[in-house]
Amino acid sequence: MKKTGTGNTDKNKRSRKAKGRLLPFAFIGPHLILFTIFVLIPIIYGLVISFTRWDFINSPVWAGLENYREILFNRESTYHIQFMDGLKNTLLFVVLNVPVSILVPLLFALLLNMKPRGSKIFQSILYLPTLFSISAVGIIWMQMLNKRFGLISMFGVKHSVTTTYPYVWIALIIMSVWWTMGTNMVIYQAALSGVSKDLYESAELDGAGALKRIWYIALPSIRFQLLYTLVITVAGSFNVYGQPLMLTQQGVGGAPKVNVLIMYIKNLAFGSGQSIAGMASAMAIILGAFILVVSFIQFRLVSKDE
Amino acid sequence: MKKKTRASRWASCTILTLVAAVWVLPIVWAVFTSFKTETEIKTKGFGFLPKVWTTENYINILQNTDNAPIVRWFLNSMFMAVTVAVLSIIIVSLTAYGYSRLKFKYRDQLFYTIMAISLFPSVINIIPLYKIISVFDWVNNAMAMIIPGLGAVTNIFLVRQFSLGIPKEFDEAARIDGAGEWRIFTMVILPMLKPVLTVVALFSFTSVWNDFLWPTIVFNDVEKMPLTAGLQLLQGAYGGFQLGPILAAACIAMIPTFLLYLFAQKYFLQSMSLSAGVKG
Repeated sequence: MKKTGTGNTDKNKRSRKAKGRLLPFAFIGPHLILFTIFVLIPIIYGLVISFTRWDFINSPVWAGLENYREILFNRESTYHIQFMDGLKNTLLFVVLNVPVSILVPLLFALLLNMKPRGSKIFQSILYLPTLFSISAVGIIWMQMLNKRFGLISMFGVKHSVTTTYPYVWIALIIMSVWWTMGTNMVIYQAALSGVSKDLYESAELDGAGALKRIWYIALPSIRFQLLYTLVITVAGSFNVYGQPLMLTQQGVGGAPKVNVLIMYIKNLAFGSGQSIAGMASAMAIILGAFILVVSFIQFRLVSKDE
Repeated sequence: MKKKTRASRWASCTILTLVAAVWVLPIVWAVFTSFKTETEIKTKGFGFLPKVWTTENYINILQNTDNAPIVRWFLNSMFMAVTVAVLSIIIVSLTAYGYSRLKFKYRDQLFYTIMAISLFPSVINIIPLYKIISVFDWVNNAMAMIIPGLGAVTNIFLVRQFSLGIPKEFDEAARIDGAGEWRIFTMVILPMLKPVLTVVALFSFTSVWNDFLWPTIVFNDVEKMPLTAGLQLLQGAYGGFQLGPILAAACIAMIPTFLLYLFAQKYFLQSMSLSAGVKG
């Protein structure tokens, strides 16, 4: 691209123009670099690695679809067994957790929307657990559910809740909802307070009861927020890790009772012994694909409704 | 009709009182129990409140510098969370300004591409990200907690959306007065972004303070790790046989975000509606 300039003025103009073109980069550049190194490259890298045999140390060896075949179809393989177990528990968590994590905060938001006395305080309290880390929350619940000294012993519970089915699942879901539902609640609440009062009043004049008003006015008005929280909650539930790890891990070095996919992925890649990062990456890609497909289906289903 | 609404208000008030009482129970129980003596915790038929208030659990846990240096962890977490909050404000405001108020070719296309890429589930990134971190020699280093998150896009989207709502006339007036792009950014737009940037700072702090999976991967040096990763070890070191100290540790871990919430509650609550309400 060598073109001889004609005189000084032209050069100046061009350098000013170049400066103008570079100016946006001064603003977006730093982030663009960080994004490339820590988001874009890892995604591509992760995809490539999933087709290789790799242990983090030596250079990866191309393996084609071997990892995927092993995980998905080789019934003898421990990776297949781990994957199926992790998938089963992860899916069970999604199926149990999502409806409760949508309905409970929705109910609370509807109650708060009636503006009872002290609704601000109720809101603050209900949102509170969301602020804490899963390790602190997990410790509290683990100790609370201690059958000998915990809070439940006060109520005469004799079962070892965190080690017996199906109690361990019930505890897991209750703790998860307690910990995470604040976000959804506040989203619904903000949306509900934006619904025009006139709509409610005219419906009331037409003789619509409270349930009808909720069903025909409140819920359709917050449709977008319901979809948004559904997608976020489903994706978040697929990524479950901290809750079962903290709650169902029994004392010193005990294996968690409920093993989810991310635990297996983490252990394969970063556990003691030789790393099997390629295999772990393939598992991560399968989980990621699951999340993407499910999110996409949800969007399609709802946008078809419009 | 008025009567009816009053009755339903009473009903909702009653239900919410019960629910709220159940909701705080775990936290209140943890706080009270952390002030009990170990013998009282382990005695059958105890009450909810401590009979004798004691700080022995806190002293015990704070003095353990051997396998659970909780003060060290607390300071590590604080350093990471504060640094991320500050850097986030800088990066996010600069970038959001670029994508909302500067004019350049393919600006919106570039932004939406970045946005779409960032929506890929983050499970995929963890393993390669660890490799990248180890290339930078950031394993067991606070940098591993600070830098990668700055590449995220969600907060930029939030601030960009906010900034798009500011009328063009502000920049134009400043430009006529001879202000350059940098002056417009710092003197005109930045002050108007303050509320949304406060939200960004609070959320960056909280998310780093509470991050769990990533720190348990990049830290194995007990001295270097943040509090969340440390607490998990604590479960192993004390869990099962000593309840007091471990509950005290959990309470200590909850203090900073609780204090932030106490003083900046409105920002926490409004941010949620900001992020979900963009299209609604």
